[in-house]
Amino acid sequence: MGGIAVAIIASSDHLTDPELIAVVALLVGWGFIGVGLLAWGSRPDNRIGPLMAATGFAFLLSTAGASDLPLVFTLGQLFGSLFLATAVHMLLAAPSGRLQTPGDRRLVGLAYLIAVVLIVPLLLVADPRDDFGCTECPENLLLVTNNDTALTVIGLVINASAVVLVVGVLVSLVRRWRRAAAPERRLWAGVYAAGVVLMGALVIGFALTSAVGVDKDSTALDVVWGLAMLPLAAVPYLFLFSFVRARMIQRGAMGELIARIRDAPRPGELRDAIAEALGDPTVELAYWLPEDRRWVDGKGRMVRLPAEGSGRAATRVERDGQCVAAIVYDSARGAQAREHVDAVGAAAALGIQNERLDAELRAKVQELRDSRRRMLSVGLEERRRLERDLHDGAQQRLVSMALNLRLARARLRTDPDGADGLLVGAGEELDAALEELRELARGIHPALLTDRGLDTALETLVHRAPLPVELRGAPGERLPEAVELAAYFVVSEALTNVVKYAAASHAVVDVMRENGRLVVEVTDDGVGGADPERGTGLRGLADRLAVLEGRLEVHSERDHGTTVRARIPCE
Amino acid sequence: MRVVVADDSVLLREGVVRLLEESGFEVVAQAGDADDLLRKVNAHRPDVAVVDIRMPPNNTDDGLRAALEIRGTQPDTGVLVLSQYVEEGYALELVGDAAGGVGYLLKDRVADVERFVDSVRRVAEGGSALDPEVVAQLVGRARRDDPLDELTPREREVLALMAEGRSNHAIAEQLVVTERAVEKHVTSIFGKLGLAPAPADHRRVLAVLTFLRA
Repeated sequence: MGGIAVAIIASSDHLTDPELIAVVALLVGWGFIGVGLLAWGSRPDNRIGPLMAATGFAFLLSTAGASDLPLVFTLGQLFGSLFLATAVHMLLAAPSGRLQTPGDRRLVGLAYLIAVVLIVPLLLVADPRDDFGCTECPENLLLVTNNDTALTVIGLVINASAVVLVVGVLVSLVRRWRRAAAPERRLWAGVYAAGVVLMGALVIGFALTSAVGVDKDSTALDVVWGLAMLPLAAVPYLFLFSFVRARMIQRGAMGELIARIRDAPRPGELRDAIAEALGDPTVELAYWLPEDRRWVDGKGRMVRLPAEGSGRAATRVERDGQCVAAIVYDSARGAQAREHVDAVGAAAALGIQNERLDAELRAKVQELRDSRRRMLSVGLEERRRLERDLHDGAQQRLVSMALNLRLARARLRTDPDGADGLLVGAGEELDAALEELRELARGIHPALLTDRGLDTALETLVHRAPLPVELRGAPGERLPEAVELAAYFVVSEALTNVVKYAAASHAVVDVMRENGRLVVEVTDDGVGGADPERGTGLRGLADRLAVLEGRLEVHSERDHGTTVRARIPCE
Repeated sequence: MRVVVADDSVLLREGVVRLLEESGFEVVAQAGDADDLLRKVNAHRPDVAVVDIRMPPNNTDDGLRAALEIRGTQPDTGVLVLSQYVEEGYALELVGDAAGGVGYLLKDRVADVERFVDSVRRVAEGGSALDPEVVAQLVGRARRDDPLDELTPREREVLALMAEGRSNHAIAEQLVVTERAVEKHVTSIFGKLGLAPAPADHRRVLAVLTFLRA
């Protein structure tokens, strides 16, 4: 086909520089076809390849316009601008091969409309020999009547549509550029630039054409159209460059990645490196916190792995047999992408492990910040409750007692029996007030714990529970006060919950020393189904423990009882 | 009867002293902390010491420790400990393996003058006085296959009063029954709980407490 094109051009009588044009035609046509087929072969699922090859063929087809034979010439005129439409299609579809927005789809539709449909009425009324000033051109076989008015109107419509198209494509390209992530920009910069220059040249071309008039020979016009061909000619080679570079990046990804990781990347850089290596700007890293059994992002915020069919996939990264993180990527990229993710993940495991520690630290800080805030509000709430209890309870009773005493004094002489009754009442109020104050004080801080330590205090707790509770282990020695208090409240709150919700027949309290931690465990044989996220009791316990770097675990399957376990650092 | 009163709160100490003196006791010394108490008890050899559990120097359970020491070194001196809280553990610790000449009461009980004075007298005479709340806690403990379930409500009342250290006479008075009836209840209780019959004194208290604490 290239040969035919060269033959047609070389034999053309109406071209000024047939040799130059032949070279350009081959460069452009073969370039597009070659690179297009290459791309098609390596990524059959990507439509960029076929689009590029089609542009090449359409470009060679347009050289038919150089023929001296009327039929070939007419066909050449008819399909002469098809390559521009496929080029626009290709530019807007790059790099995935799919048109992303409805706007892009409308622009491509407009391009084909101009190139395939609007050109027909133009050729019906235009005689190139007369209207385009091409005296050497052969006959236009489609010519029905040479009508200047119709030609002007159709020409205007085509030009206006073309201007809309070019501006639209420019806007779309610029918008896409601004949205693109850094790796994508680096990879496709050339193609974008060529597209923009091409569109710019087209704008200038249209402007000059309207200024000079289609039927005049103009050197300036020839130069502009010639210049417009340059970026177009460059497009396939730029594509080739990008493809090869993408390949090279993927192939050299691990080497490059390891090198970058060795350079101690700043937080977040590892993600960029992986994103670039995979050619997927949407890559995210989720780090696994084994102690909390949850995923967090690089900032320590909780994240969830994507669900099946969400368009995102996650591959776990392991180090020394332990899961450390997951790479979350665009699952539309297929099985090949999965292999790449596996390889990149394995290579980056060490770096990911380091970033995981960083993320864990951030998560801890965040957790502490949250728990501190909750502690504060719990503290305030407790103060409010104390104030309420004091005000509604003991204070009211004391006021009432004071009143009774005054009344009794007033009646002492006149009504000794009445006064006696009042005094009895006052005494009862006093007893009740004392009882309430005692309970209140115990709730604030159990004196027994301070006096005798955890063993004795737990014994009392266990004995006072309204269900049989077995105390299996106790520390047997005094521990730091904060640790004792935390352990005490764990058992106290857990037993309160057992009584309130578990419908259990008995419970077991066990306290052990284990690797520098005090492990406090309360197990019941009740209905299970406790949720630490709901209700303030367990949440408050977790916060109390968090202050000591301790943590709370709740295992509570329905119908299988509940185990509340606290681990408190305690050397 | 000769008494030493120990409490770091002057207000309360003076109150107790006045109350005891009005009831015919001779308060031979007052102490403001545990060490002071031990010194004065040692010097005066009183019949009974009334001791606040929370006292200097540590302001924890210094009073209880002093009381235990007195019980260890001067068995002739009864000890009545007053506590802000119901801690049956403390009470049991104080009783140890001899329920004679010992008492553990909530501090509030001083307001009930008659019963308080009765308790002090009982302890001074070698008997025992446990706070009803403490006994209630012990009786109320959740047990698997609780043998106390076998007891009738009246028997449970009698059991609690026995544990407090009351005599058959006092129990009969409290429940408004005859002493004979109380004796019958006691025999029934000991039978149901599988305890060897005990004479009606502080050894009976110990047997009941030993059963309850198990």
